[in-house]
Amino acid sequence: MPKVWNILKNYIQKERLMTISNILVMGVTFLLLGIFIEVVVLSQTMLKYLEDQAQITVFFKDEFGEDKIIPFKDSLLSDERISEVTYISKEEALKIFKDINQDQPVLLESISASVLPASLEIKTKKITDLDGLTNELQSKDGVEEVRFYKDVIQKFKSVSNTVYIVGFILVVVFFLISYSVIISSLRTAINSRGQELEVMRLVGAKDSYITKPFMYQGVFFSTISAFLASIIVFILGFVESKLGVFSRGLSFGFLPKVFMNPVIFSLILAFILILSGFVLGYFGSKAAVKKYLKY
Amino acid sequence: MSQIEFKNVTKEYIPGNKVLDDVSFSIEKGEFIFIIGPSGAGKSTIIKLLTREEKPEEGQVVFNNQDISNIKPEEMPDYRRKIGVVYQDYKLLNSKTVYDNVAVSLEVVDSDEQEIKSVVPNVLSLVGLLDHSSYYPQELSGGEKQRVAIARALAHEPDVLIADEATGMIDPDVSDEIVELLEKINSLGTTVIMATHDQRIVDKLTKRVIKIQKGKLVSDKKGGKYRA
Repeated sequence: MPKVWNILKNYIQKERLMTISNILVMGVTFLLLGIFIEVVVLSQTMLKYLEDQAQITVFFKDEFGEDKIIPFKDSLLSDERISEVTYISKEEALKIFKDINQDQPVLLESISASVLPASLEIKTKKITDLDGLTNELQSKDGVEEVRFYKDVIQKFKSVSNTVYIVGFILVVVFFLISYSVIISSLRTAINSRGQELEVMRLVGAKDSYITKPFMYQGVFFSTISAFLASIIVFILGFVESKLGVFSRGLSFGFLPKVFMNPVIFSLILAFILILSGFVLGYFGSKAAVKKYLKY
Repeated sequence: MSQIEFKNVTKEYIPGNKVLDDVSFSIEKGEFIFIIGPSGAGKSTIIKLLTREEKPEEGQVVFNNQDISNIKPEEMPDYRRKIGVVYQDYKLLNSKTVYDNVAVSLEVVDSDEQEIKSVVPNVLSLVGLLDHSSYYPQELSGGEKQRVAIARALAHEPDVLIADEATGMIDPDVSDEIVELLEKINSLGTTVIMATHDQRIVDKLTKRVIKIQKGKLVSDKKGGKYRA
């Protein structure tokens, strides 16, 4: 182990500028990689929150009283597609109206409970069932209007899907960039020591003797850069948690029922980045030194 | 049994352009051989085939009964340690001292510190540079640099020492010293192959001379002269 540190120390002392520029370039690449993953997860979380709040509101005609609405509500609960039904009476509707319009006393004076319709707020297990259910409810007796803010959710869903796809492509692209940055920086280092390596090979150096220092360099720079990027990613996660934007935590498109604390997620993401740094460093350096081992 | 055999070797760097054409010869253990010929005759190609920097298109290069084209990559370091090579341009590492330049050939095979401390002074003493151990290559003359290169080639006691135009960059008096050193090494049992176009040295030593011209072996004589 001390030999590894000696090799790295010697290289860093000799090539300070190269060391700094390599760490900066790879660090920024890993940071962007982390941020793209974070953006994808945030957009998935926002979609999940929006989907969970998505509901159909069914307004009833005045003549369709509470004695008819409650049995109707019970019949809806037996529908497998429906997860939750909340009854909002005329009085409750007035209370909500007053809460929303507290700053408009003139308007509040002119409104009474009898003016506002009673309603049912219906949530489904799957957001895809909202559309069909809306159509079914519109034709029911006593129903005056059915409201479903389909466009907003559809628009956000399409934006979120775009973010998901673009994010995924960018993550792959940044992986490839990190890989090529490692290879090109090591090739530069190898070329600058071309004569030394040639002499080593001519005097019978084992492959491992020639490649080890470069393997150490590649893995070290890549892992250190990923580590620095992961610190920033962790801080972002910590700030996200303190802001408390997502009360239930972060959600993932491929794990619909899982919610994770942003701090824990950023810890996992930091670990993934460091692991990626190590793996990319290992394979990148292996690819970089490979062509110098051909006999 | 010959130590080295070239059996009908043909080498082409560009298809159709033969640098060596059906060359055959053998070298016994402990021989001192000159390979002579004008520039571009194919001398360096013979050296490169021996060090396995190149492979022949046709024929075989055999070392101790093994066709060296068949040596696996993982066995190459072992093979290279059986052959010490000295080049015209020395190929010394300017960032390392004389001692370290010689030690590098032992370090690369993971020799322990004790072995390095015993071998390096011995070979430096053999080439007469023990008192220059701490010098850097840029502080040495051409002849001294070549001695360091010889010491490095000898560090892991090779069976064969190859000198590729080793006196090409040094003046005649110093060249004589280098050749004397090679003779001394040869007298200790190491086969020496010297590629050169220095007529004076070849004629002075009257050793076996293999002459290459336009890729063909044109003469192979014991006690030969450059223009014989």
